[in-house]
Amino acid sequence: MIQCEFDRRRFLQWTGASVAAAMTTQLSFESLANAASRSPLPAKTPILVLVTLYGGNDGLNTVVPYTDPVYRSVRANIALNSSQVLPFSPTMGFNASMPMIRDLFGRRKVAVVQGVSYPDPNLSHFASMAIWQSASLTGEPTGWIGRWLDQQPHSPFNAIAVGSTLPPAFVGQQTVASMVDVGGMQLPWGPVATVLPRLGGRAATDGTLEAAAAGSIADLYATAQRVGPHIPKSRSGSWINQQLSLVSALINANVPTRVWEVNVASFDTHTGEVGDQNSLLSDVDTAIGAFMKKISAGDRANDVTVMIYSEFGRRVASNASQGTDHGTAAPVFLIGNRVKGGLYGEQPPLKHLDPNGNLKVTTDFRSVYGGVLHDVLGTPVGDIIPGWKSALSVH
Amino acid sequence: MSPSATYQQRLVTSRLLHRFNFGPTPGQYGNLLRHGLDATVATVLEYGRPDPGLTAVGPLPMANLGPYPNGNSAKADAFWKAMQKDTNDLVMWWLDRMVAAQYPLAERMTWFWHGHWATSISAINYPFPMKKQYNTLRQHALGNFRDMAKAMVVDGALNVWLNNDQNFIAAPNENLAREFMELMTIGVGHYTQDDVAAAALALTGYSTDYPTGRVTLNPKTHFDVPLSILGTLEHFNAQSLADLVVSRSENATFIANRLWFRFVSSTSTPPPTLAQSFAHRDIMALVSALAHSSAWTDPANTMVKSPVEWFVGACRALKVRPSKLNSGDVQWLLSQMGQLPFNPPNVGGWTFGTAWLSGVSFQYRFELAQMIVSAGDLAPLAVEPLNMVQACADWLGVAEWSPRTANALTLALATPSELALAAILSPEYMVSA
Repeated sequence: MIQCEFDRRRFLQWTGASVAAAMTTQLSFESLANAASRSPLPAKTPILVLVTLYGGNDGLNTVVPYTDPVYRSVRANIALNSSQVLPFSPTMGFNASMPMIRDLFGRRKVAVVQGVSYPDPNLSHFASMAIWQSASLTGEPTGWIGRWLDQQPHSPFNAIAVGSTLPPAFVGQQTVASMVDVGGMQLPWGPVATVLPRLGGRAATDGTLEAAAAGSIADLYATAQRVGPHIPKSRSGSWINQQLSLVSALINANVPTRVWEVNVASFDTHTGEVGDQNSLLSDVDTAIGAFMKKISAGDRANDVTVMIYSEFGRRVASNASQGTDHGTAAPVFLIGNRVKGGLYGEQPPLKHLDPNGNLKVTTDFRSVYGGVLHDVLGTPVGDIIPGWKSALSVH
Repeated sequence: MSPSATYQQRLVTSRLLHRFNFGPTPGQYGNLLRHGLDATVATVLEYGRPDPGLTAVGPLPMANLGPYPNGNSAKADAFWKAMQKDTNDLVMWWLDRMVAAQYPLAERMTWFWHGHWATSISAINYPFPMKKQYNTLRQHALGNFRDMAKAMVVDGALNVWLNNDQNFIAAPNENLAREFMELMTIGVGHYTQDDVAAAALALTGYSTDYPTGRVTLNPKTHFDVPLSILGTLEHFNAQSLADLVVSRSENATFIANRLWFRFVSSTSTPPPTLAQSFAHRDIMALVSALAHSSAWTDPANTMVKSPVEWFVGACRALKVRPSKLNSGDVQWLLSQMGQLPFNPPNVGGWTFGTAWLSGVSFQYRFELAQMIVSAGDLAPLAVEPLNMVQACADWLGVAEWSPRTANALTLALATPSELALAAILSPEYMVSA
């Protein structure tokens, strides 16, 4: 897996998006706390949470056609058997690492859109992710959320990516999204804890930078007081769990943000796929389960839609190293209390592949975006994805 | 300690020590204040003598681990463990050197060049080629930039980081060619896209052996046809390309600006004369010109210490060897603050200024400070309580505490460890005033 490690950092390095990232705002918790109290997101405003799986998640071992004889024969060394799936039909089941999503699916809160990609799929991580994030086949320099941002009244809170680098999807022509650091808020402890808040005060002799340094201390304390009760105290759990815990806390605190992005890397399972992918899917599943629980318990229970996607699925036949190489179509997940759960689109047949041995595309990803733009962001699709009107609605 | 020193003397001495030497060792600030500015400049520029501090750290032997093993086996396990251990040791070894150096200028400059050539281990993965790159940067840190550029353009870790191992005549990859000109030598606006495309062809034929970082030129896959680059038409290879680019007058301005930006001020521009000191691409001459600059008295030239600079400075003052701390915790906390050596976020290098000063990062700063203080030597605080706050400033090389900080420190006088903790977490110590 490590030979071809693909994550957002390397993607950004390739695409030059780090230049746009230089224009972005790193939001402090204090500014988020202020925004949540001064201009809270109006009740019932729909919210989108994007979960990007970098590296190319293997769709066939996520939503598994586990009884298909072709599946069992062409990937004999990594095929999951009936005890390794959670069936939802006589022929299909979720990877057994996904009990929470299986449960949400049973309660009809998960839409699985099958066979999603774009025409003439490109097997490069970089080209493929650029197409997904720009929603364009022709190298549009802006991202689809970025173009939506361009249409909104300006505010640094409209769209926020968690972490330290900005995804190209969040870069518009005039506007770029903001970012927020993940990480629990942990106040200093011990006797010095009574001294430190005083170091965060202002001094008449401070220059700009001393004031900013003092501000970093004040920010930590102010945030701990204002949004602290909402923010996860510990850094427990996987990276995706830490990110989604933070997002659920900020959503429940009414931060005026319509679109969030979190990400997980390392889905590029060229070798030893089953163990690696199961563990990654389990991280995502646990995090989504906890996220939906927290959202459902708050005032935003019916406002949030989660979309999970990756730049491509993987080759139908496995390789000799118990892994799979880059492929094409894969399922996209849409999750939310307002989502009409079930299967959408067609599962691409395993018997009729493209010349590279990859799945044929049955759903254009722009239709999925179309549904999200229309149902969640309330925007005409054609304004964001030029020349595209179709919307696959799951709401 | 030095009541006769004026604020300006204290400021300039503090700046020189922090910007060029990672901050003072115990007692050094007071000594230099007594000896005056000329002596301070000479001290911080001290370079080339055998360094007993570095001798004490010792060399870091590292084996070539060879290619990746296949599948799961005891041998594969041992390989991955060795990869992890060597990577960990390399980071701690460098931090140790920064802390232990008696003449830290060379390590400080190597640290600057690491950010300049901004290569992350995340591409090549092996620690061995990263150590090789460290050696190259250390060797040329204060030498001639032309030699450095010619060595770096064929550095294995940089070639892999910027995809030159995927640069083929039939399908050129321009990444190394472009960044070499844009970020490393002459800056944007001083070349055209045609120059980039031609430079990419000049860089074809080089392949990197990942485990060792050895770069070899295969004449069969190298584009050996005259190319026009920056108006010069000839047969190019990596070294002659570097030679040509470094010869451009823009190179002097570009590198002088980069040093000014990282050592003096990220907001102002250097005097045009600074680039003249780099006419021969002599890095020591440029550094010396900077150290002798009149900029140090300008109150505006404040800088935020990067996390590594802050950490190393505190370890120097408290006589803490980083590798004696829990190295996993040190590296995790530094990476949370955004700066782990050998892991710059992208080819543009580390960020700067207030980006280092988020509330979230203060939590990690606090944890690191705690680790340093619990392992630290607090002897410099063994003075009368009345003098402790001032002793703290002299110890850490802080020109002056603000009333805010002085008052806060007074509350911690009863416990020296609390006082030390508060002092290294103070706004005055997070920045270089």
